[in-house]
Amino acid sequence: MNRRKPQNRLKAAPPPKPAARAERRPRAGLRAWREQHLYSFFSSLGRLAARPWATLLTLLVMALALALPLLLYLGLGNASQLHGDMRDAGAISIFLKPHLDGAAVNALAARVRARPDVETVVVRTPEQGLEEFRNQSGFSDALNVLRDNPLPAVLLVVPRADGARATDLAAEFGREGEVDLVQYDAAWRQRLEAILAVATRTAQVLAALLGLAVLLVIGNTVRLDLLGRAEEIDVMQLLGASAGFVRRPFLYAGLWYGMFSAALALLVVALVEWALATPLQTLVASYDHRFSVRGLAIVPALGTLAAGATLGWCGAWIATWRHLARVPR
Amino acid sequence: MIRFDNVSKRYPSGQEALHELSFELAQGEMAFVTGHSGAGKSTLLRLIALLDRPSRGRVHVDGQDLAHARRRAVPHLRRRLGMVFQDHRLLMDRTVYDNVALPLLIAGVARDEIGKRVRASLDKVGLLGREGDAPVALSTGEQQRVGIARAIVTKPPVLIADEPTGNLDPQLSAEIMALFGAFCQVGTTVLIASHDLALIKRMNQRVLVLDHGRLIDDYRPRGAP
Repeated sequence: MNRRKPQNRLKAAPPPKPAARAERRPRAGLRAWREQHLYSFFSSLGRLAARPWATLLTLLVMALALALPLLLYLGLGNASQLHGDMRDAGAISIFLKPHLDGAAVNALAARVRARPDVETVVVRTPEQGLEEFRNQSGFSDALNVLRDNPLPAVLLVVPRADGARATDLAAEFGREGEVDLVQYDAAWRQRLEAILAVATRTAQVLAALLGLAVLLVIGNTVRLDLLGRAEEIDVMQLLGASAGFVRRPFLYAGLWYGMFSAALALLVVALVEWALATPLQTLVASYDHRFSVRGLAIVPALGTLAAGATLGWCGAWIATWRHLARVPR
Repeated sequence: MIRFDNVSKRYPSGQEALHELSFELAQGEMAFVTGHSGAGKSTLLRLIALLDRPSRGRVHVDGQDLAHARRRAVPHLRRRLGMVFQDHRLLMDRTVYDNVALPLLIAGVARDEIGKRVRASLDKVGLLGREGDAPVALSTGEQQRVGIARAIVTKPPVLIADEPTGNLDPQLSAEIMALFGAFCQVGTTVLIASHDLALIKRMNQRVLVLDHGRLIDDYRPRGAP
């Protein structure tokens, strides 16, 4: 017989009465829910830490996938800054005939300014033009050699309308007697805008595709984890575990995968920023610091973490959904 | 506590595992299900554990009609059932304590109460003091006793066991059976599938004999509860 004679020590322990159980339910249910979440929260972290290399490898793959659209986003942010700088390019440049005196220039400027389809007119005298050229072109020494100022007076006209009407306006100016040449770079500006739009859309599509890749990688990782623990899951279901109870640790694992890979992606972005900092500074300096290189701000960084966590949670959900539809053996 | 009304179970393969089966077990009653392999013992237990649904007829456990249980309700119904398996199905990567605590964790029992109940349960099967051990460090008989401790830790009204002594020698088998006998004395309904006729005879309890899915004998010993 059993050495410990369990019969003698068995206390009469009737199952709890349903009524008593129902009374305690609301608060006890909340506490149980909280405790089960805490349990899943830590046990899923523990499982990732138990296989550090496999976890790190998975995280790195996903981090690189997330870093790529982030870098594109950063590049575009900086490029659109440059685009803002190009607003001046929307102006019509009217080069007047050389040796036109100041009074004639001002008379023409007043006439143009009076037109209803013109927003602003800036007069740039030959002296101002030479000064600007000297500062920007790097040919100041060569310019010193000149005895005469070869530059004409220029009117910078910003039209009220864009596109075809601005082009008509430019053509109209061309017919004025005092005008030598009219330059209007509408086509060039439109092309730049189009290129930026294509780049933005490309970045969005890439972000969507790589986001999907992250979702699938996490889904597959969680699926393999589920297969490895199929026996454990069967036992839990036999013991009355709800689908939620079984799913929860895996959802948390997905959340960790997503969030940690997003954090790693931010680290990758920071490394790239650091690696490019010196050459970019040189480039910016050559543009007279008219724009600055902007790094990733705090809000997009937090957004990346949130997006990573969401992707992970969703990927894990998809993986567990199919698995839990089975009946345990 | 357990009632079968004209239960038939036909698998999609066409094999009829149970045919027009009817019997009833009262609270605190202990019974064996026996028969040759393939007679329907496991199917009968699977119907009680809601691992399968009957093709025809009704299965009632603890007043609940299992035929009409919704899928979402299945986990809750299983929690009112203690299950013991031939291969004990312990989680080998967890300690004895964690294995026995699992049903309580699933049921959402408060943490401080889990410890008390796990120790009480291990005490009943004579394994108090082995909480920290890994299941592999235990003998086969001890592993099966951990499986039993896990089945009774939630104090279920019904305990079912599928060949619980299938892998044990006669002396260990007798010890395990004595444990089951003790549980039915405190009001738990116990149903054990076994083909160990010698052991069943010695236990002197009710025996349901299955043959090709039919109940061919319902033996009640004189003087048994």
